Amino acid sequence: MCQKFTQISTFLKILQISKILELNSKLLYCISLKFSIFRRYPYRLPYKYNFKNSLDMKTYKMSKDRFPEFIEKIKTKGQLYGPVKGNGKYSFEEIEKFEDLDFDYQRTVIGPKKFLTPPRYQTLRYDKSGQTDVFVSDETQIVIGVHPCDIHGIKILDRLFLGNIKDPYYEKRRNNLIIIGHSCLPDENCICQSTGTDMVEDGFDLFFTELADHYLVWVGSDKGLSIAIENEDILTEEISEEEIQEYVRWQQKRSEMFKSEIPSFKYLADIIHLNYDSKVWDQFGEKCLSCGTCSLVCPTCNCFNVEDRISMNTEDGFRERILDSCTLPCYSMVAGGHDFRPDRTSRLKLYYTHKLKEYIGRWGQPSCVGCGRCVTYCPVDINVITVSKALYEEVCENQEVCE
Amino acid sequence: MWQREKKPVVGVFGFSGCAGDQLAILHMEDELVDFFTSADIKFFHMAQSHQEVDHVDIALVEGSINTDKQLAELKKIREKADIVVALGTCATHGGIQYLGDNEKEFKERMLLVYGKDGKIPEFSELVGNPIPAEPIHKFIEVDYSIPGCPIAKENFIPIYTKLISGLKPTKYPYPVCVECKFQENDCFLLHGKFCLGPVTAGGCDACCPNFGVPCVGCFGAYEGANFESMIEKLVEIGLTEEDAKRKLMMFGGKATELALKGEK
Repeated sequence: MCQKFTQISTFLKILQISKILELNSKLLYCISLKFSIFRRYPYRLPYKYNFKNSLDMKTYKMSKDRFPEFIEKIKTKGQLYGPVKGNGKYSFEEIEKFEDLDFDYQRTVIGPKKFLTPPRYQTLRYDKSGQTDVFVSDETQIVIGVHPCDIHGIKILDRLFLGNIKDPYYEKRRNNLIIIGHSCLPDENCICQSTGTDMVEDGFDLFFTELADHYLVWVGSDKGLSIAIENEDILTEEISEEEIQEYVRWQQKRSEMFKSEIPSFKYLADIIHLNYDSKVWDQFGEKCLSCGTCSLVCPTCNCFNVEDRISMNTEDGFRERILDSCTLPCYSMVAGGHDFRPDRTSRLKLYYTHKLKEYIGRWGQPSCVGCGRCVTYCPVDINVITVSKALYEEVCENQEVCE
Repeated sequence: MWQREKKPVVGVFGFSGCAGDQLAILHMEDELVDFFTSADIKFFHMAQSHQEVDHVDIALVEGSINTDKQLAELKKIREKADIVVALGTCATHGGIQYLGDNEKEFKERMLLVYGKDGKIPEFSELVGNPIPAEPIHKFIEVDYSIPGCPIAKENFIPIYTKLISGLKPTKYPYPVCVECKFQENDCFLLHGKFCLGPVTAGGCDACCPNFGVPCVGCFGAYEGANFESMIEKLVEIGLTEEDAKRKLMMFGGKATELALKGEK
């Protein structure tokens, strides 16, 4: 008990210091934005070169009325997917014509992770003669209209699936995928400013920022550069000082539009650590429907279940990967039938400690990208904002310091 | 290569219900030939006329138990079957006919339906004396349950083919919401509309929400269902608590009734 108390008091001290530091970081951000705007889309900290594809990152300008032409051209490179409105929700669907696209969207139900780890896909097929691995075809898939948060989500998936042990099914899909980002304006559920994923430096091939009558196009990879060079009649490198000013104003306007935030996001790992046995978890556990929605829609959740399916003739079949959720009852069940997390509280705690604490310990960054999907889709309001706020309030008994 | 020594003997038995699950098997047109050739179907109430069977490896039992005659028959099935699989919501949860059990005493209901003395003498010899509808696990040990009203082909085939191959199907309960999210459907509950997806067992590929129709819970209760929170949510969107409970009870059967009473 005594130890916990000292932990809390040190934590509060750090919090006080950070209030002074925060001012400086904002200042730094403004300065960097002013000077380095051309190099890349976002500028938060001095630019770190990505030596892997050491490209001289280019920025282009494209007139808005030439966008349909660009879509037509890019469609010849592969199967094009983009945000489409349907039945009160958006989803990435196949694009037949330019009019189908609707870039004025906040979030799709499932993010672009469905192109990399689809909810269901076969990995192996067998019959009497033997077994064969099932891979997708070599056809290029192009996703257009991906928001910065979802690009960060893909970067996190890359880290997991293309790390020391590469997942061949993911790798094949990833290599065939061209990501074309698109700027967005936040709504009340967007929390990417708190998670630091409101801007993106890499992970895309091209990135379109929509301004009043033109797009600024950032190139983020070799693939993106080759597309840009092929389309040099549409894209121009001449960007005037006025247009830069417009972009800066747009950035400022956008950053002021955020309405939701996670309080003291930097220290969330500590807050969760201190609150590990808190009764807050039980309150959420009582409320949770255990439906799995939060993790199914999360752009960084990738757990899958493996099932063998036998055909009715019992002579052939396939192995399937099915998107799984750690909030489902048998997720932590092991051989022999023991379930490590039989109750909703412990499963929910697993979900949030993984996202906001353990992942930071391993990679120095949370695996929440602030897309606001859990905020939008949880039927009983259990999401990153409500959970972190409840935990924050729990740890801050002295409200004055936490203000 | 591993091969089964002989085809397993399978029996499909039916009790009270609409026989929709047997029909669902017969409607699997692409797999129907394989269904009758991959196992030795010795007994199939709906598909065969002459039926005589002493032993089955796998018994697929459909329907709830409504008479004492059915009960005796069910116990016989358990004796001659190695594996008993409850097929459909009637067999696994009690089905729609379980619905009335909440309302009035059994005798009262009999009087209400069959008149003054509540007896059906001319039928009792043929069908037996009526008892309150119950799922089959109330009377016998059930090895596997495949809910559904009717069963979904996608859910039934993987379990059935594992059984006839001599393998154990894995238990993995999940609600309708999981497959609903796979299809990227918009959530009804978020728009203040009724839906029972979060408390209903999945396996149907969210076929109703896919067509803009809310889930009514025909697969029965999902194992991890949180009824308290669900009722709270339904009250929040405008139902009364009583209505919410009645909606849950429609297909929920025994498991839901106990959960609602807090005896889970």
